[in-house]
Amino acid sequence: MDAVEKANAARQQQWIKDRKVGEGTYAVVYQGREATTGRKVAVKKIKVGQFKDGLDMSAIREVKYLRELKHQNVIELLDVFSSKTNLNLVLEFLDSDLEVIIKDRTLVFLPADIKSWMAMTFRGLEFCHRNWILHRDLKPNNLLIASDGQLKIADFGLARDFADPGYKMTCQVITRWYRPPELLFGCRYYSTAVDIWSVGCIFAELMLRIPYLPGESDMDQLKTIFRALGTPTEDDWPGHAKLPDYVPVGQFPKPPLRDLFTAASADTLNLLSKCLVYEPRKRITAKDALSHAYFFALPYPSHPSKLPKCSTVMNKPLDEIDANVEVASDPGAKATSKSLKRKLASPTEAKARSIARRLDFSKAPPSSP
Amino acid sequence: MPALPPLASLAQLENSPSTDDGLPAVLEEDLRAYGCKLIHQAGILLTQKQVAVAAAQILFQRFWYVSSMKHFGVGDIGMGALFLASKLEECPIRMRDLINVYDVLLQRAAHTIGPKADTPFKYHPMSYFGTAFYDLKESLVVAEMQILKRLGFNVHVVLPYGTLINYLQVLGLIKQENACTKAWGYLNDAFQTPVYALYQIPTIVCAAILLTIRHLNISLPSEAPNCWWELFDACWEDMWNVCGYIMRLYRERPEAEQKRVLGLVSKKDVRRWLEDNVPDK
Repeated sequence: MDAVEKANAARQQQWIKDRKVGEGTYAVVYQGREATTGRKVAVKKIKVGQFKDGLDMSAIREVKYLRELKHQNVIELLDVFSSKTNLNLVLEFLDSDLEVIIKDRTLVFLPADIKSWMAMTFRGLEFCHRNWILHRDLKPNNLLIASDGQLKIADFGLARDFADPGYKMTCQVITRWYRPPELLFGCRYYSTAVDIWSVGCIFAELMLRIPYLPGESDMDQLKTIFRALGTPTEDDWPGHAKLPDYVPVGQFPKPPLRDLFTAASADTLNLLSKCLVYEPRKRITAKDALSHAYFFALPYPSHPSKLPKCSTVMNKPLDEIDANVEVASDPGAKATSKSLKRKLASPTEAKARSIARRLDFSKAPPSSP
Repeated sequence: MPALPPLASLAQLENSPSTDDGLPAVLEEDLRAYGCKLIHQAGILLTQKQVAVAAAQILFQRFWYVSSMKHFGVGDIGMGALFLASKLEECPIRMRDLINVYDVLLQRAAHTIGPKADTPFKYHPMSYFGTAFYDLKESLVVAEMQILKRLGFNVHVVLPYGTLINYLQVLGLIKQENACTKAWGYLNDAFQTPVYALYQIPTIVCAAILLTIRHLNISLPSEAPNCWWELFDACWEDMWNVCGYIMRLYRERPEAEQKRVLGLVSKKDVRRWLEDNVPDK
């Protein structure tokens, strides 16, 4: 055993796997703890042997980006080690995610609570963008909630860096309901604005308690967006008609946001509309969003520890963990069955994409406190 | 927060795992250079992006500070490094393509030192479902994992190109096309040396510029207190070392020495060489 093997073995002994909490195509997830402190962790074991193409891209991206990022509102990768032929990622253990909280009808959200979640999301995202990393899969179930109420951005399986301008990137990213119109039109050059659109959709979802723009197909997604926000004109978004996959999908008038968000303050609607601007270059940046009047107006954001929490502790720090990202999932799945999850496929796997992979992690009996 | 890339320690530099196993330092140096050349050739045949090829060469060079050539072959690890770096740089390649390309390169190398070296080289493709392919595929998967594991999953690399453009602009040399091309070439050749695992990027870029201006007879302020490299936080001694590493690549070598590496691509070859040449300890 040389020095490397020894170091790896020592590292492996530091983390104890307690029980299996889920299994995806590429990974098995265990709840575990740190041997010395007893701190709870999630261990994501990536299966290597069975892949066709060596290590999965999403696992490599997670290792690459999470190794570099350390921020209160970004999930922390505590350690990585390998056992025989497997790769193991040790991640912070988080109790729940925003999707579960949104769906829990027993919880009531105050405007201050929403403001707090938005502030934490923007802080985490601003940190990613400042370090030249696009997340490309923001949605409520990738925003995990720690036991102290802190929100953390997770699942960097689709993330990538964007330091190089003019570098062609795939437009098959971001779960459909949160995907911005430029990607739906096949834009191959894009930037931080794609993540901001997703945050806008999440913002709206927090107020409505149902997904804001639930399209049934890529084409229907555009229609859903235009129905909600009006069909963009050449003035709203110069040049959009020249994008590769542009198709006219009908003319819809622009209804005032106020009609749907009846209880929202003027500041709230102003920030929301700036996240959902059609022209990507005019969409607000995470940095500017953080200094938007919304965050400085009363009511001030709730303290994380005071935020609504799920009444039941679920068996579910899972989405963070679920390595199994897939692109064209069927978002409808969520509406029909709570147990089905939306996922994204790794872009390298374009062929397998037409079949939505559905995993049921929710079978384990819910343990109530 | 631009993290600095990890560098080898002095102890690692003085005693590499391969030299601990009895491999002469100069042979290790040659094998590293040859492994990088293979990565470069494969990259060209695969029309892979230079960023991925360069990142692969850096990972490859780092690998030999934590592992011995007695246990890993430069062929396998080079292939694994290119495969991994292609994923890291978001331009993944197919395993079969990579394996085929390495097969061509290694067959050609074997031909050059084989008994029929004077006849023209003819490539014999491996059979589509043959064991040769599956064996190579298996070793590719193992190599990728070993690189990740042995580098502690630290795959952050910094490439020198952006820095070079920046410095040439500051020095007012950007308009001199031959200077840019030459410096760019030195940076690419330097991938065959361990310098990217030993020095930070500004030092390496300054060394490439120094070689360029010396060879093109361009003069820049070089006397204390006005030394151009100090603008970029490089120190003369480090820069001079890097120049030495690069210039060593171009030295005249007897043919036997040049061909020696062609037969030492796998760990088996290296082990056999060690048995034949190194008396038992």
